[in-house]
Amino acid sequence: MEALQKIFPANDFALLLLIIGMPLLGAFVNGVFGKRLGKDAVGLMALSALAVAFLGSVLAFAMLHHAQAGSESPARFVWHGWQWLTLSRAGEASFIHAGAGANSFSLEVAFSLDALNATMALIVTGVGFLIHLYSAAYMKDDPGFYRFFAYLNLFIFSMLVLILGHSLPILFVGWEGVGLCSYLLIGFWFDQEANARAGKKAFIVNRVGDFGLLVAMALLVRYAGALDWDGIAAGSRGLMTEVRIWDGQLFAAFLPDVITQPRSVSAATLVGLALFLGCAGKSAQIPLYTWLPDAMAGPTPVSALIHAATMVTAGIYLVCRMAGVFTLSPAAMFVVACIGALTALFAATIALVQRDIKKVLAYSTVSQLGYMFLGVGVGAFTAGFFHVLTHAFFKACLFLGAGSVIHAMHARIHDTDASQDVSNMGGLKKYLPLTHATFLASVLAISGMPLTSGFFSKDEILYSAFTRSVVSSNPTTFAWPASTGVVLFAIGVTAAVMTAFYMFRLYFLIFHGSFKGWRIVAGWKEPQHDPHHAHDPHHHHHHHSSGPLDGPEPHESPWRMTLPLVVLAALAAFGGFLNAAPLHITPLEHWLEPLFEATVDPARLHNTDPDHALMWPLLIPGVAAFLIGSSVAYYFYVMRKSAPATSLAERFPALHQLLVDKWRVDELYDELVVGSLEALADAAVWVDRWVVDGIIARLTALIVTVWGHLLRLTQTGHAQAYAATMVVGMFGIGWFVAVPQPKAIISGDAQTGQYAVQAAPGLGYVYRWDSDGDGTYDQEEFGTTSSVTLSLEEGATRDVRFEVKNAFGRTRTGVYQVHRPKRDATSVVLGRDIHQPVPGGAAASAPLTLRGSLR
Amino acid sequence: MTALSDTLEHYVLLSALIFTIGGVGFLVRRNVLVQLMSIELMLNSVNLMLVAFNRVHGDNMSGQVFAFFIIAVAAAEVAVGLAIILSYYRLKSTVYTDEADLMRH
Repeated sequence: MEALQKIFPANDFALLLLIIGMPLLGAFVNGVFGKRLGKDAVGLMALSALAVAFLGSVLAFAMLHHAQAGSESPARFVWHGWQWLTLSRAGEASFIHAGAGANSFSLEVAFSLDALNATMALIVTGVGFLIHLYSAAYMKDDPGFYRFFAYLNLFIFSMLVLILGHSLPILFVGWEGVGLCSYLLIGFWFDQEANARAGKKAFIVNRVGDFGLLVAMALLVRYAGALDWDGIAAGSRGLMTEVRIWDGQLFAAFLPDVITQPRSVSAATLVGLALFLGCAGKSAQIPLYTWLPDAMAGPTPVSALIHAATMVTAGIYLVCRMAGVFTLSPAAMFVVACIGALTALFAATIALVQRDIKKVLAYSTVSQLGYMFLGVGVGAFTAGFFHVLTHAFFKACLFLGAGSVIHAMHARIHDTDASQDVSNMGGLKKYLPLTHATFLASVLAISGMPLTSGFFSKDEILYSAFTRSVVSSNPTTFAWPASTGVVLFAIGVTAAVMTAFYMFRLYFLIFHGSFKGWRIVAGWKEPQHDPHHAHDPHHHHHHHSSGPLDGPEPHESPWRMTLPLVVLAALAAFGGFLNAAPLHITPLEHWLEPLFEATVDPARLHNTDPDHALMWPLLIPGVAAFLIGSSVAYYFYVMRKSAPATSLAERFPALHQLLVDKWRVDELYDELVVGSLEALADAAVWVDRWVVDGIIARLTALIVTVWGHLLRLTQTGHAQAYAATMVVGMFGIGWFVAVPQPKAIISGDAQTGQYAVQAAPGLGYVYRWDSDGDGTYDQEEFGTTSSVTLSLEEGATRDVRFEVKNAFGRTRTGVYQVHRPKRDATSVVLGRDIHQPVPGGAAASAPLTLRGSLR
Repeated sequence: MTALSDTLEHYVLLSALIFTIGGVGFLVRRNVLVQLMSIELMLNSVNLMLVAFNRVHGDNMSGQVFAFFIIAVAAAEVAVGLAIILSYYRLKSTVYTDEADLMRH
């Protein structure tokens, strides 16, 4: 360990580069050379990249653990890259708020490792490795094999940049990177329109959230003066600034006084809400959750890795990372907790009636993410993050199990929808024993069976929701209502009942009862002749006659798919002991708490139950939720063979249909957002067609055409006409040369009163000047002096006269009036040109021609 | 030497007169052959001018040399011009310029 610390010192921790760089290397090799390498080499490259990254993460974790064991403060390893950008504005009003201290802002490319993201890196690389292993078998027959692994490795790279970045902009680079990979992988089978649309939807909905993140960054620069973790912590004093968000002036005459009151909120609230908008986009919370269920169009391992275990938890990671900022604002934390609780409940109601196995899991993911936000929202950051950890285990296992089930269903049918429809399944326990066991373990964990991982993490969140809140030192700001804890707890328990119910419903419908897949055998064809269903991971040549009906049987997946299932199921079952608070086994809390204690002001976290007296009593509703949900599902789907569910659906058809249609939120968004955007597009098309094309393009073309027609009349083709034109032109030039041109330019400065009159030059020109305005020339003889200078009093006006004689001896006179304005006027110089040809050179001063100022 | 006046104005006036006759002839006559002759008149008026100036201001013979150049160029120009007229006549069966508008295209 000592030697390792010499190689990788804490302030130049290059091991992070290895962890981040290996997946990037894998993405590069697979993306550029993958087509020629062949599937074995591609798989080896991707898996070894992940293996090295995982081993590096384990090593880094061990070193960090060692470092933290010997110190009071939380340990942190940093690798400093290079200076990214520096902004400063010396002198003028600073763009950084005075409370933030510095007048300039600089940003460094740096990565850091502390307790929080070391744990996260273990999840990403560890679960990522298992899912890569699974994918190597699942995607075996896909022609886009190399593309898949290039994207997957790129995703891991981006995710590591996201969690290991030492500042918000670096995090944002990773944030966008995972969004890109998510888009690419959702639309992996882009030859089907629906998949491509789902990818687009995910990308566009996430843009809304990213807007929030960008706004948050701008606000942090303004009020905290920094974007890196240390700088934000140091500048958090500036975040207490009150910001006027509404001055009440707009339409003040028409609105009631309540609205026209000026409103201020603290900068921390604004930053918190903007950050949370970003989190809601990435982590699929109300109102931006709609993309995640559609994202199931991607291959199932992608759903497991990106849309369950890692990427969607980035929002929770961000809230934990910015805990110091969020806790400054009880209002922002209230929003986080409430949105989390509502999302947990809302998504659970939809999951109750879905029939697509992946849709159920997707809404379950949204719901569980809501739990996590509920946890971090009430200030229980460890509890929320613990749920990230356990959810990564059991939800990845569930998705991979679902993939195994779908894989088995492909023995019967190659239609994506039909192979994922639970009403075609049933009784698969007999054919998929290993998948069944692991799936059951994960269902028990997510439903909260005592002593499983989900039990401990979920109940700690519920307990925290009941007992904890965020308070402000300032009594005038927003304070949480007293009943918040009870309401959040009730919502959480209700969602837990539903979770237990729909997960057991899914489990019973898939694995119990009789297999209904026999009846979809009609029209069955040999699969290997159908290249369009390339995602079929396994071809079948055996026809069994032993089944109730003819056709191939579903069968267990190969070991590379079941091994990850077994590992994840074991973690899902026993991972809870990482933080089993009721049993006082809390290594995770000991590991993470120093970090949160260092960033969060403890006075802001309020706990009504510091002695944990309520911990055991509050377990009872959680356990009851599990028992009620699972036994109702057992009664509905095993004892009564779905009859109660059918009769309920018939008794409340409208409600049932509403749930099946996912509360029709997509339709609402279509009407409100997409519809208004389309109206805007229509207006833009109208403007393009009639204004841009009509006026700008057609009118311009018309003017050019008319002039072209006119000018063409002069193009007679007769050499004589051209020659005549030349003669006319020659006479013109001759006149210009023969007649002197008395033009001049006046320049000067109203401040000093110094002016100069510069006469235009010409062939053989000589001049004589009357610069003092007395009517007689300064010198009678003509000279080559082409300019005069004069100084004027304020408000004075003078006529400067000059006579110019050309080489033919002809003369003309020009008169310019120079005026110096009064001091209060702006320094405009007025020039008046009085000239006319005078035969014989006699001076004349009339008529006056007003010329615009030349300066 | 004395037969030729030393006053340059007479030469300039004569030259301008010939040039004007040539120019007006070129502009107003329709017959291409006459136009060609008008061009010759203009060229010769310039020749006269060059020689006259050389006579008065000449400390070298560059004016005379230029006059020879112009005579040579005029001969070449007439050859090209007559060739064009011949082609034009074959094309249009006329030597009048009313129909000579091919330059428009």
